[in-house]
Amino acid sequence: MMRGGKIAVRLLGPGPIGLLCFFAMLLLPLVANPYLLFVGTQLSIFVILAVGLNILVGYCGQLAFSQAAIFGIGAYGAGLLKVHLGWSFLLSVPAGAALACAVGTLIALPALRLYGLYLALATLAFAQFTQWVFLNWERVTFGAGGFRLSRPAFPYFTAGTGTFYIALFVAAILVILAARIIRSRFGRAIIAIRDGEVAAESLGIDLLRYKALAFGLSALYAGVAGGINAMTLGFVAPETYDLFLAVLLKAMIVLGGLGSIAGSVLGAGIVLILLELLRAFKSAQEIVFGAILLSCVLFAPSGLAGYLSTRLDSWRERYVRAFSPLQAGAARDAAEASSSASPVSGNA
Amino acid sequence: MLTYLLLGGLTSGALYALVALGIVLVYKATGTINFAHGEFLMISGFLAYSLYVFAGLPYLISILGAVLLAFLLGAIAERIAFRPLMHANMVSLVLATVGVSFILKGSGRMLWGGRGDYLAFPPLLPPDPIIIGEIILVPQQLVVLAGAMVVMVAFALFFRLTRIGKTMQATADNPKAARLVGIRVEQVHMLAFGVGAAIAGAAAALMAPITLLYPDIGFSLFIKGFAAAVLGGLNSMAGALLGGFLIGVIESLAGGYIATSFLEVSAFIVIMVTLIFKPRGLLGLNAVRRA
Amino acid sequence: MSRAMVQVGAWGMLALWAAAANAQDVPGVTKDTITIGSFGALTGPSYLYGKLVMNGVEAVFDKVNAEGGIHGRKLVLLREDDRCEPAAAIAAAKKLIHQDKVFAINGGGCSNASIAAKDEVAQAGVPWLIFASVHDGLTNPVAPTIFSSALSASIEGQAQVEFAIKQNAKKVAIVSMRDSWGRSRYEPLVAYMKKKGLTAVADEELAPDANDATPVVLRLKQAGADAIILVLYPKPAAVFLRDSMKFGFKPLMIGQSAIGDPTAFEEQVGVPGATASFYTISHVKYTPDSPEIAKWRDAIHAKYPSDRLSVFNILGIGSAQVLVAALKATGPQLTREAFVKTLAGMKAIETDVFGAPINCAVPDHRCNRAPAWMHKEPGGPIKIIAVTPVD
Repeated sequence: MMRGGKIAVRLLGPGPIGLLCFFAMLLLPLVANPYLLFVGTQLSIFVILAVGLNILVGYCGQLAFSQAAIFGIGAYGAGLLKVHLGWSFLLSVPAGAALACAVGTLIALPALRLYGLYLALATLAFAQFTQWVFLNWERVTFGAGGFRLSRPAFPYFTAGTGTFYIALFVAAILVILAARIIRSRFGRAIIAIRDGEVAAESLGIDLLRYKALAFGLSALYAGVAGGINAMTLGFVAPETYDLFLAVLLKAMIVLGGLGSIAGSVLGAGIVLILLELLRAFKSAQEIVFGAILLSCVLFAPSGLAGYLSTRLDSWRERYVRAFSPLQAGAARDAAEASSSASPVSGNA
Repeated sequence: MLTYLLLGGLTSGALYALVALGIVLVYKATGTINFAHGEFLMISGFLAYSLYVFAGLPYLISILGAVLLAFLLGAIAERIAFRPLMHANMVSLVLATVGVSFILKGSGRMLWGGRGDYLAFPPLLPPDPIIIGEIILVPQQLVVLAGAMVVMVAFALFFRLTRIGKTMQATADNPKAARLVGIRVEQVHMLAFGVGAAIAGAAAALMAPITLLYPDIGFSLFIKGFAAAVLGGLNSMAGALLGGFLIGVIESLAGGYIATSFLEVSAFIVIMVTLIFKPRGLLGLNAVRRA
Repeated sequence: MSRAMVQVGAWGMLALWAAAANAQDVPGVTKDTITIGSFGALTGPSYLYGKLVMNGVEAVFDKVNAEGGIHGRKLVLLREDDRCEPAAAIAAAKKLIHQDKVFAINGGGCSNASIAAKDEVAQAGVPWLIFASVHDGLTNPVAPTIFSSALSASIEGQAQVEFAIKQNAKKVAIVSMRDSWGRSRYEPLVAYMKKKGLTAVADEELAPDANDATPVVLRLKQAGADAIILVLYPKPAAVFLRDSMKFGFKPLMIGQSAIGDPTAFEEQVGVPGATASFYTISHVKYTPDSPEIAKWRDAIHAKYPSDRLSVFNILGIGSAQVLVAALKATGPQLTREAFVKTLAGMKAIETDVFGAPINCAVPDHRCNRAPAWMHKEPGGPIKIIAVTPVD
């Protein structure tokens, strides 16, 4: 009896469930209309974005709001190389991702000195600045209206189906890669940085190097997602990569579970389903979205993966056991509070 | 040209300063940033409009009413959304306040959005431009300026001199210690949010004749106000004022001498530069390396 | 074979047959309903050009349904939000077309979003009557099933330039917003000016949420402009007029349909007398206070109690009336092809609100070519100066 129970629990683990979902998605084009296929492609893109963001925010503790803007850089990079230089998607998407990665890595430099709220604000400002560049550098980016791209051509599939499969496979590969990376030395280093920078440094962890790697890796994910997004929409415009998207991405990793790869995937799914459900509310969408966001944060602070990890062993064992978002958050904020304590007195 | 640009910058800076003051007040007393601050401003503005136009109340009573209602709204928001999250991590807190801002914005749109594009709120003083020598001003801009100074001085004194003010500072400084000496931390927080929202309400009433009322006014003012608060130092009321004026002037000069498109982005460039070189702001103290 | 399997098989066949039978029907049309889709901004700052216009459309649908519908079928409006954002518009269009399978679309708020969705709609061959988007690219290149009841950007730009010329303006300047709406108007405007051999003495820019226009006013004053073409939304335009008054700068101010309610605009500017030289275009020839459309004022107020009739509602009312007229004219055998053919042949559709009868029998499918010029004496009534049809 016990053994059967244990196997059942194992089967409910993130790995097997993930595999099941993957196979289900493989079959989606057979039954879905073009709209559902589009939504499915969006899911893969969101998964890539969420996993990338979680590496930076959940594992490395860097509260960055720049992911949506870097997503945009990836999309613009891929799209512009195609439109201006005639490159095929096969070349332009990786190139766009590389550009996004380079920009993302550069952000790590100022991020060395900034923590918590200040890093959030700086990355937010950077995101607004990036959107301004998309909007105003008309000669290159076509400015406010955005620009149209031709859809990719596939031998046996329609553009929609082909893009769906590419997105799915890339997402699967990147998720597995992320899970591997987290378990490597790099993963342990960034977790150490999250949990206490001074301590990490004293252990010989080079802060600049690992933060830069974390920012760069997360940006690479966002860049790839951006290129695929450009392929899917056939259109690239500045308004798509705005603060609302940045909030959505943050919601994905919080609702799914900070510091959990499976959580990122779940979170992407939850937010996507949420967005689709919200459609029914028409004009009341903003109110409902706000209410759901608030309730989820209030009642499920460690996200779905966090909740599952308290119920099913298989969800806990696979990932870093010591992590608890609440603990890490409290520790960080206590340190923050004690360091900002001094400016309080003596000021108006 | 320069004088006019400076003046224009100071007047829009006064708007940002008013917003920043509310943000800084809440931060000083609770250690958190209320991302829904802009929406409190918007809702209070609409409430004042409703009281004045629909309920037909006298002008000053409408404003007072809006300020009181804003205070209530702030206190309720604190109780529901912020208090449970005091110990959670920063991302959750940000998301919670963003959630509140969406609820407020959506409600604003539902309740007042169908009345046309931008609602006009009457100014405190007659609107004909005042000419003082070479300087031309719309009177309401002076009102906003005066309002910002009054709020700053009032609250600077409040924090320095009154018991409640010192209590608030103590609570923000070290909540555990505050609790140990008998300070009711939760009540202080609720009060702080209420007062912050009330400032937003007053700000809305003063600003609305210039900026007009519409559901989306909250966010753009909030971002600039937040930038001003960070520039001046999140812990400093005087810093909020200074930051607001600086951002207004920099925007105006950039828009005047470089290109108007720079008007929108200069605030963000300023934030980025400030945070790189002086993260604690102009009037805040230097950063302490955290453990 | 077991009985259960036979039963399942039988039901399965029945289901397949029903599905096949349905597949032959016209999408969005049943025995007693016609489903019309609409996408536009329901949330976000541009909800004026989405939600409010759709409210107008539904008011018309309600009236038509109350009178028995169209050949016995009631009209149903399905709204989707595009948040004024291209990717969301593409998704909204896909949903309406492939998932909800609407018969036709009466929508299109923000221009940039509509442009992004154009391909999707055109490729699917779904009829689309654009109600608020003005981008020229929506009707150029023209798609067989896409029509517009909104004044397109080049029509308004042309009207603005002609107005300036007719008022003997010597030094024309432009103040525009640099977002996609602004660009979509700015480009045809400049192209038409060039065609007329005119160059702007100054070309300035204001952000949609600007609170101070001092640098712009100063530069225009320096350039000595005597007529300003405003490619702005009401808020930046109000700030601009207010700041112009501050500096005693009183040129001819030429607006366009985004500033379609002179009464509201006068209030927004807030400085007495500032709108004395302000003239603007409207897609429709009535303003919310006009007695002629009292019945619509009541209809909107009844359906949406906290709303007040606005220019945006009126825009939707007109567009929906065009749609309804075409649906009626197509007759009881309603198919997409028949509908498009009918609409493309209708030369003079009467509506309660547009400046002139709507003519969709034009090669570029821009059915509304009658900008209505309006002027309001400060403190006085609004006068329609002219409805100037453009070809």
